[in-house]
Order: sequence, then C-alpha cells, then structure tokens
Amino acid sequence: MSALVANLLKLAFVGLLYLFLWQMARSIGGHLVADTTSARRGKRRVGELIVVRSDTQAGSRIAVADSVVLGRSPEADALLDDPYASMFHLRLTMDGDTMSLADLGTTNGTYVNGRRVTSPVVLNAGDSVQVGKTIMEVK
Amino acid sequence: MSRNAEAALLAGAAVLAALGVSIVRAAGGDTPDAQTALTFLVVGLAFGSLHLAFRQWAPNASSYLLPLAALITAVGLVEIFRLDPRAATLQRWWLLIAAGFGIATLAVLGRFGTDLLLRYRYLFLTAALVTFMLPLLPSNWALGGVEVNGSRLWLQLRLFDTTIVRFQPAEFGKLLLVVFLASYLASRQPALVSMTRKVGPIVIPEPRQLFPLVVAWAASFIVLVYQRDLGASLLLLAVFASMLYAASGRVAYPLVGGGMFLAGTLAAAQMFDHVQRRFDAWLRPWDDFADTGFQIGQSLFALGSGSLTGSGLGLGRPDVIPSATTDFVFAAVAEETGLAGSVAIVAAYALLVAVGFGIALQARDPYRKLLAAGLTTVIGIQTILIVGGVIRLLPLTGIALPFMSYGGSALVANVIAVVVLARISHEVST
Repeated sequence: MSALVANLLKLAFVGLLYLFLWQMARSIGGHLVADTTSARRGKRRVGELIVVRSDTQAGSRIAVADSVVLGRSPEADALLDDPYASMFHLRLTMDGDTMSLADLGTTNGTYVNGRRVTSPVVLNAGDSVQVGKTIMEVK
Repeated sequence: MSRNAEAALLAGAAVLAALGVSIVRAAGGDTPDAQTALTFLVVGLAFGSLHLAFRQWAPNASSYLLPLAALITAVGLVEIFRLDPRAATLQRWWLLIAAGFGIATLAVLGRFGTDLLLRYRYLFLTAALVTFMLPLLPSNWALGGVEVNGSRLWLQLRLFDTTIVRFQPAEFGKLLLVVFLASYLASRQPALVSMTRKVGPIVIPEPRQLFPLVVAWAASFIVLVYQRDLGASLLLLAVFASMLYAASGRVAYPLVGGGMFLAGTLAAAQMFDHVQRRFDAWLRPWDDFADTGFQIGQSLFALGSGSLTGSGLGLGRPDVIPSATTDFVFAAVAEETGLAGSVAIVAAYALLVAVGFGIALQARDPYRKLLAAGLTTVIGIQTILIVGGVIRLLPLTGIALPFMSYGGSALVANVIAVVVLARISHEVST
C-alpha cells in the first residue's frame, strides 16, 4: 500500500469519526440548551422554607411569594414562635427565581448557614436560616 | 433527533467499524476479507436489534445514547482486531450477548417500569455485596475465583476441567450498587441536605448522616487490600461520594470522601507493596523502566509517536504495550489515529456523560434522577480513571475503558447501564 493511500485512509477514518460526532453534537447541543432554559422558565416562582427545628413549629412550611415578613408579632405575614425573635424579624423576597433575605435590624440577628446577616443575602436551596433557636431550611 | 436519524447513525457506526477493519487489513498488505463483513454485520445486528427494542419498549427514550455507544464500540472493535484478531472474534460474540442482555433488560423494564428496581432495594444491596465477594471463592471449585495479574477480580465457571467462561462479577456489582444507592438516598434526601452542626465557621452534616460514607470508605479499603484493586476501590468511593453529592447538593460529601480516600491510599501506599509500586510507576516511570515503568512508558511512547493524526490503523506498534487490548486500548487508538482520533473519542465520552446527566436533570422523581446520575457517573469516572492512567495524569488503575476495552463482562454491564438510562429518559414523558 502506498504512503499516499495509507494517509488518505487514515484521514478518511478520523474524518468519519468527526462527521459522526458533528452530527451528534449538533442536535445534542440544541437539545440540552433548550431543556435547561425551559426548566428555568417553568420553575415555580413561589419559594418555600421548612422549619427544621423549633419548639412549636417544627415541620411547618412557609411559602414565599413576592415578599413575606416573618416575626413574633401577630401582624407579621408568617409567625416565628421563638422567644429570641423580634416582632418583625426578617423579610424574604422572591425576585424571579431567586429568594433573598433581609434582617430587619433585629437585636438577636439572623444567621444564614451559620453566618450573621448584615446586608440582604441571596438564599439557595438547602441553605439553613437560624433565628434564635428556630432553624429553617430553604427548599 | 428522531429514531430514524438514530438508525442512520448506527448504520454509520457499522460502516466505520467495517472501514477500520479493512484499513487494518490493507495495512498488512491484504485485501478486505470476511472479517470486514463480519464486523459490519455484528455491529449492525447488535445495535440494530437494540434500536428495534428501543422502538418497542422505550419509544420516547433519548436517541443519543445508542449512537455514541455504537461509535465507541466500533472504534474499540477495530483496534482490538488490529491488535489481536482472535480477541476481536470473541469480542464480537460478547457484543451480541451484551445486546441480548440489553434487550432482555429493556423488555423487563418496559413491562414493569423502572419502579421495579425500587421495590427490591435490599435485594440489590445483598446482590452487590455478594458479587464483589465472589472472586474470593476458592479457585478449585467449579465456580471459583481466579487471580490474574495480581488482582483477584475474576470468577470462572469450570466443568470437567475445562474453563467454560470467565468474567468479572464486579462489573455487575457496580450497577447493582448504584441501583441500591439511588433508592436508598432518594428516601434519605431531606436528612442528607440538612446541615445543622457547626465546627467553627464550617457547617457540616449531622455525624450520623456521614455514616454511610464511612461504610463505603471501609468497603473500598477492603477491596483495595484484599482484591488488590486500586481502580475498583477508587471507583466505589467516587460513585458513592458523587451520588451523595447529587442527592444533597452538598460539596462537603465529595470533599470529605476525597479526603478520606487520599488518606487511606497514602496509608496503603506505606503499608502495601503493590500500591507503593503503582505510585512509583506513576511518579517515576523511567527509574525502573525495565520493570514497573515499562507499561506506562510504552504507553507514553505510543501517545508521542501517534502525534497529530497518528500512524494510521495497522501501521503503528501499539502491540508492544502490555495489555494493549484491555487497560491500554486508549493508548493504542491514540497511537494509530493520533491526537485527532483520541480527542474525538474523549469527545464521544463527554457527549455520552452530558446526555446521561441531561436525562438525570429531566427525570421525573429523585429516585430516577439519582439512578441516571449514578449510572452516568460510573461510566464517566471509569473513563476518567483509565484514560488519566494511560496518559499518566493519574496513577494507573486497572479499569476497563467503557465500550472500548476488550472484555465481555464490562461490555454487557455498560450496555445494560445505557439501556436503563434510556428507559429513564423514556419515562420522563409518560
């Protein structure tokens, strides 16, 4: 077999490999991108927290649509039954798919993943929010 | 992509395999012979029948899985044929058997759905543990373990003093373990996510949630010590840690798991000779080139002489690498198709893993998500470990390159994994 033929066959084989991959990658790329964007668009715009630890509220759920204020006061949107909580303790805001938390200047503070909140923070699924002895988890 | 496009690509893979075999023949000065036709027929028959089974039992399944598996299998068959035509004949039989197992799996799942696997959780755990331990059976039994190249991984069935069949039960054990873990972790998900303990500034999970990880670490360590298999040990822990990560979204699990493995391996390298030698060959292959560094050294020569577009199929010398058809098949392919060909292969694996994780993201419940993610992780991690080992990025671990290495058990297990992935992707839309 001449060197020329050998080289041509070699390139033909590798070329065919790439042709095959190109065909695959073209349609997979479109497919995966389409899927992630539709998943993002289809996501619920209502966030949720679950009370993980609390004397009286363990297991209860707090739905967050638009803006919700949590506190010990009956006037608050959602009740936080904890002696260390302020009357109006913190505000949860949904903006599109992102939930953020702001401490309303409380005495005992709010802790997200163990860190005291000084300015509004974005919450991710799985983050833990602690007020006094109450621990909530972001769903 | 439609099922028809899938069929066309599968035919393309069969043509590629036939072309490759013909090029190998031509390089040896021969004209294409029956081997070309046989390769074309076997690849076509195996993947064609899987394709028909997809149409029957998983018509809405992802159509990307089979063509990618077929492409990798085709290149593997060509390279195995080039290195050892007798092994290629056996591998063709294994491909047909694997297709048979794949179709049977799909038929069962098509009838009962993937929930079937969820129902018998502890049966799968038991089966997984038993399969990992099987090679420890005495060698003189009809069904007994055998030690090959210092690792006790093989099980052989012998009747009337003739070896009927040899296989590696661990290949199936991996799948069984993933099935168990998916259903176990899916039911434990809330507990795994909540991290309420604090050590200084770091938030960690409840210590008892780390217990399964400790068990996995211990199991992988036992495999490392008794079966002398660094690869299986690493794979076991990696699959465990990454499935915990997929279930919880907590980076702490893979970090802690990786740390534990590193500590265990370093300790093992101090204590056991065979682990120490693996590390020496990895870090200093040229110090003992004649002995421990020979294999990896030859692999590096192969990669280097392959250069950009390779020597051409059948024109290189990949046969000088010990166990070129199994662990080092990637080096052989890289020598004969060059950087261009080997990058294409890595890209095919990357696409396969991307498709697998795509299926996991879309799956309809946590159990199916974890199952898809786990099966994809098994394929992905094996690829990373052995390709990394062959190019001396990682210490060498004797693991089969999925779909490409010569070996029947691995091929059957990988086809089953792909079939289960396909069924999960089908169930998204039902």
